[in-house]
Amino acid sequence: MAHARTPAEAAKLEGAGRRYSILTPPEGVPIRFEIATLIARFGAQIADILITAIGALALTLVIALLPFGIGFQAAGIVFSLLMLFMRAPYYIMAELFWNGRTLGKRLTGLRVLSADGRGLTTHGIVARNIMKEVEVFFPGTMLLSAGELGTFWTAILLLWIAILLFVPLTNKKRQRIGDILANTYVARQPKTLLLPDLAKVSPEEEFVFSASHLEHYGRFELQTLETLLRANPLDKPVKTEMRATLIEVATQIRKKIGFDDSVPDARVLAFLHAFYTAQRAYLEQKQLFGDVRDDKHHQEGTGKARPDNS
Amino acid sequence: MTDVARIRSARFREQRESDWLALETLVQKAERGAAAKLSFKEARDLSRLYRSTATSLSVARDISMDKALLAYLEALVARAYIAVYAPQESLAGVVTRFFASSAPQAMRRSWVGVLLGFVAMALGGIIAYALFMQDESWFYTFMPMEMAGGRHPGASTESLREVIFDNGEGAIGGLSFFAAFLFSHNTRIAIFAFSLGIFACVPSFFLTLYQGLTLGAFYALHDSRDLGYEVFGWLSIHGVTELSAIIIASGGGFMLGLAFLFPGEMRRRDAIRAASKDAMKLALIAAIMLFVAGLLEGFGRQLVQDTEMRLVIGWGIGALWAGWFLLAGWERR
Repeated sequence: MAHARTPAEAAKLEGAGRRYSILTPPEGVPIRFEIATLIARFGAQIADILITAIGALALTLVIALLPFGIGFQAAGIVFSLLMLFMRAPYYIMAELFWNGRTLGKRLTGLRVLSADGRGLTTHGIVARNIMKEVEVFFPGTMLLSAGELGTFWTAILLLWIAILLFVPLTNKKRQRIGDILANTYVARQPKTLLLPDLAKVSPEEEFVFSASHLEHYGRFELQTLETLLRANPLDKPVKTEMRATLIEVATQIRKKIGFDDSVPDARVLAFLHAFYTAQRAYLEQKQLFGDVRDDKHHQEGTGKARPDNS
Repeated sequence: MTDVARIRSARFREQRESDWLALETLVQKAERGAAAKLSFKEARDLSRLYRSTATSLSVARDISMDKALLAYLEALVARAYIAVYAPQESLAGVVTRFFASSAPQAMRRSWVGVLLGFVAMALGGIIAYALFMQDESWFYTFMPMEMAGGRHPGASTESLREVIFDNGEGAIGGLSFFAAFLFSHNTRIAIFAFSLGIFACVPSFFLTLYQGLTLGAFYALHDSRDLGYEVFGWLSIHGVTELSAIIIASGGGFMLGLAFLFPGEMRRRDAIRAASKDAMKLALIAAIMLFVAGLLEGFGRQLVQDTEMRLVIGWGIGALWAGWFLLAGWERR
């Protein structure tokens, strides 16, 4: 259904670019995580490679400065060996002790989650990082030496890389082969930000709404108004560029709900806050009694609840 | 503030907000990791507040239309869930468990795969040996030239002997040998034999067979010049460990492939996932063994010039591996 019938559905379609996974922990309350994009994961991987390379370089310098008198060539060998030995242990230990976050994932705000709703297991972390050797580093280092491989093997290598890049696109959680084996996936770290309750700062009862006023809108319109009001808090003066918009919105609302009392321009924001509070109380009350109104296209009185909720 | 009293969801929030903020502080502390360990009381509060906030989220989804509040609770419960179900492992615990029990147990459970790997390699060795004895030109078919290092049927017996008893260029030479070993052909074979096994065992079988072919041809070349015993010692010192590592890696691949071919009662994906638990341990064992084999090839082979000593070291270390796999990690009944 590429065709949106209502504003709420249009908004849903717009949000479909982001992928979510619903995870149900043993407590039985489903939690939603946003699945990381492949670009973000690529960024995290690059950051991790840089971090391990810098770490290996620093260690090589320390070893080179020790009085063994190793030459330049030997230092190169030491560096490549350190890169090899630091790699898998770094990823495994970082994800095990920092709960699914390597430094690169921290920087990009990502984390590894277990897809079964339990915690990450040692096996899962080891499995996904051993497979990372096969999936990322082996073809990566081969690619660096692709010049020596010859046409046939280069073609095989490119095919191999193409398959590896294609695998995450075939499943919903964007899991690479190692993730599938380990039953893990990479999600974005959720950000918590507690905003004040708009209904709490509502003013004295200057505007009174009756049930007939509150019949018209649904949840979608209410939450759209919420977004507008969060940008214009009551206790701060209205920004001049927003004034015209607010007056326009208030006029539209008054027309739609048939609110006849006049609202002076200076009190527009107070009116909108009061309306938000009253509308929210009304809709929440309706929802408690099973009358869920998704948007203004709900059918009057029939309580057209979402089909999955009935 | 009569409005506040009228709105149920605002009342609901007022009553619980302090708990949510307390949980957020605890979660932040837990996320900072090992540096700031939670006390017993904090850990207890974390799990109690997590459960009550999960309930809050469940209720808020039903009664509240405050989008910002729902987003906050959702993110808070998600972060708290991650903190509560964090893996509780210590490095020493993980390493001890691996060496003392889980690795040898996985080896014993995967005997079928390891046996298949051994059969494939032995088969390759026998075939190549038999073919070489009929016609020496088979050597060129089995042996990649960059690996042979001047050792081919056209080389003189003396030059073959020199390579076997070449004492290298000291420690730096050993180091570069070690590095070359780890990036070498055989390590790649091990990686591929493990990771491609998932395609119905076929790639694992052929890669291990191929490894056996090169080995058989190599041995046959030296045997035909009466250097069989010497090259056996030269190969043994690291080869016992190295070839076992390749067999074990391919054994892991075979276990994955067998799960793909015969998933039994499970879905194929679940069967492979279950098989990967042991297969990953085999991969780790193979990696450790390749590391040891690299040290033996880089340093041991140049330092020990005596064939008997090479045999003793090579097979002695082989016996240690076997002892680990067969004796460790039995559970007492």
